[in-house]
Amino acid sequence: MSATGIAVRAAAPRTSALTWLATTDHKRVGILYGTAAFGFFLFGGLLALFMRAELVQPGQQIVDEQTYNQLFTMHGTIMMLLFGTPMVAAFANFLVPLQVGAADMVFPRLNALSFWLFLFGGLVVMSGYLAAGGPADTGWTAYPPNSELQYSTTTGTDLWIVGLGLTGVATILGAVNFVATIYTRRAPGMSMLRVPMFCWTILVTSILILFSFPALTAALVMLLLDRRFGASFFIPAEGGDPLLWQHLFWFFGHPEVYILALPFFGILSEVIPVFSRKPLFGYRAMAFATVLIGAYSMSVWAHHMFTTGGINLPFFAITSFLIAVPTGIKIFNWLATMIRGRLTFPTPMLFATGFIYLFVIGGITGVIVASPPIDFHFQDTYFVVAHLHNVLVGGSVFAVFSGIYFWFPKAFGRRLSERLGKLHFWSWVVGFIVTFLPQYQLGADGMPRRYVDYPANTGWPELNAISSAGSLLLGLGMLPFLLAVVLAFRRPPDQPDDPWGGNSLEWWTSSPPPHHNFRSLPPIRSERPVWDARVAASEAGRAHASRAERAGDEAGPGRPAGPG
Amino acid sequence: MRQPGLSRVTRLLGLAALGTTTAGCLPAPATEEAREVAALYTGFLVLSVLVGLLVFGLATFAVVRYRGRDDGSLPPQTHGNLKLEALWTALPVLTVLVLFGLTLVVLSRIEARAAQPATDLRVEAFRWGWTFRYPNEGIVVFGAGEPGPEVVVPIREPVRITVTAVDVNHAFFVPRFLFKKDAIPGRENVFEINVQEPGAYRGQCAEFCGVYHAFMPFTIHAVPRPEYEAWLAQQPREGAEASALLGSPLASPGTDASSSPSDPGQPLDSAP
Repeated sequence: MSATGIAVRAAAPRTSALTWLATTDHKRVGILYGTAAFGFFLFGGLLALFMRAELVQPGQQIVDEQTYNQLFTMHGTIMMLLFGTPMVAAFANFLVPLQVGAADMVFPRLNALSFWLFLFGGLVVMSGYLAAGGPADTGWTAYPPNSELQYSTTTGTDLWIVGLGLTGVATILGAVNFVATIYTRRAPGMSMLRVPMFCWTILVTSILILFSFPALTAALVMLLLDRRFGASFFIPAEGGDPLLWQHLFWFFGHPEVYILALPFFGILSEVIPVFSRKPLFGYRAMAFATVLIGAYSMSVWAHHMFTTGGINLPFFAITSFLIAVPTGIKIFNWLATMIRGRLTFPTPMLFATGFIYLFVIGGITGVIVASPPIDFHFQDTYFVVAHLHNVLVGGSVFAVFSGIYFWFPKAFGRRLSERLGKLHFWSWVVGFIVTFLPQYQLGADGMPRRYVDYPANTGWPELNAISSAGSLLLGLGMLPFLLAVVLAFRRPPDQPDDPWGGNSLEWWTSSPPPHHNFRSLPPIRSERPVWDARVAASEAGRAHASRAERAGDEAGPGRPAGPG
Repeated sequence: MRQPGLSRVTRLLGLAALGTTTAGCLPAPATEEAREVAALYTGFLVLSVLVGLLVFGLATFAVVRYRGRDDGSLPPQTHGNLKLEALWTALPVLTVLVLFGLTLVVLSRIEARAAQPATDLRVEAFRWGWTFRYPNEGIVVFGAGEPGPEVVVPIREPVRITVTAVDVNHAFFVPRFLFKKDAIPGRENVFEINVQEPGAYRGQCAEFCGVYHAFMPFTIHAVPRPEYEAWLAQQPREGAEASALLGSPLASPGTDASSSPSDPGQPLDSAP
């Protein structure tokens, strides 16, 4: 297979800009998605650094109130919808056809359209910076009436609505493609219970997208009608209901949280077995837990609304508690995969292990705020800020990096520096802890979120200063990663098909894979076809060697056998 | 961070250690309801620490015990273990059911309503301040920005509070009460508090409401009933004096300067 891979690679590289603009190759669409999403990530991170700089000490130093409100609005919007969601699409685009053994997505052109809609939608949101009143200033949750024209007068808010509408459509188109590809393009022999766990998570995530994003689209259209066309869906004085927005928004928004979690659980379920040299513990339970989380995530939305006085508290409390169970199953299964394995810790595994430690804290604090009486205190404080960053940064972003370090050799034929990777990892672990753990205490003390300034209560200036110092470390921690990417591209591609000893089909083809991915496929008899093929090859080698020994031939194949 | 002397650095480090180990200590609860919440939270915290230690312990065990033994041998290829998996499904289910039970008990207690609370307080939030009305007494206290309106409630008896908003969503939040309720235009949210400790309790808006969201504090003074009634008697009745809408409610000597808004929890020292 390596010989064919090299032959195809030699024929392929016409990397002019036009081929990238016109591409419908799922791998290139995935790389485009990832690059654009990562650009948004860097910008959103910069906004966060400005916020932390403003909060270093009480009083106002750097930005005025309105600018601060726009900082957190754009930070939240970018991280959730212009980085997180498209990053899922990036991994899914690149990996799903490779992992199921397909030549491409079912609808390659729809796939390309999805990327360009996302990019232009994102740029429309960002173009708020060119509006006279600046970008949206409503918080990423945009609760009306505060987001109605009367109170949020900048055109940036309208651009935010229209841009997010476009990216929402892009996300839905991508989801259609993922579902169709996983259902219909699996290689012969790959039953649903042999599909790699990452594809399982993408399948469930895509179904969540199909159910939840239309609610966001509807809400955005209603808000735009309110603002510009005289409707009054959310204006109480004219018979509207502000709570309707919250229901629609969180009916999208809470599945969205799992849209930003499940695929990254999937990445962990790919990375941990490879570096434990063991199969994923409890594959079926993991697939089932994924489906269960998806189903539950549609019924917990109003736990964001405990303090509104308009919902059934016990119902949304019990569903929110119960969703911790399948999540716990996943964590225990990862740990059981590692236990009694043969663990190695290159950068992808470091980030995966870091994920387990940090995500658990976020999961536990999530159970705490799932209890309405406790949430009455923590709602809209820094405790919630710490919790959500705990699951989305300590969790999802760590998994994003794990995945990037893991699949970079496959995507580009080049490996990211291990030394820089370790520097990146440790600065992010320390940076994360120093930034976000103090925010739990600030929230417990009652410091509300979205405050440009805070009173100099006991401990608050110190805790805020510590948190800001941590955020600086997170920012600096990006430098080794960026450097590693630059250095990797200054060398020619040198990576073998399977640098890590992988399990799933993407490791069967060349690095980077040729157009249409595969020249041949191994037999698929489990969820680890490439592992199986390696075992079979080494056993054949051993059998051959022992036959040769028996025949007294000293020149038998001496390659040390053994998967990995 | 102005003068990073050694002592300040050590203090910061100490606080960092404190912040990371004790993250999540609540303010001292001031109401009957808050005490219930604090107790519930303590229960959650104990269970959280246990679960956290279990997972951290297992992960650390795996990392330390099974790392880097790269002798080329293959580990046992275990695909799963139904009994183990049933165990770590059942235990979390039981745990969250217990937590849910405790939650229901506390929820029903803090949502209990007195038959006829003697004090009725109506709170209207607006951009960016608060109007407090005592409908039975016809008293209105109004304030925007710092230091915000200051009102008085009696201690150790139920006080019924109705919150709403006139423009956008806000939230009524008093950290020492461990409680907040959204103030939403077109809706009336009712709850009761029973303040146990006399004191001045600073509150603030907790739902993002626009430009000056961070600058709409208020203060609730909790005092014994005789002092409360004396305060009521001093207040101008609605419509009697227009300036009453703008002045501080605690303008009488002995009560105004003693309670700095940035100093929550300080008892109101003397009766007027």
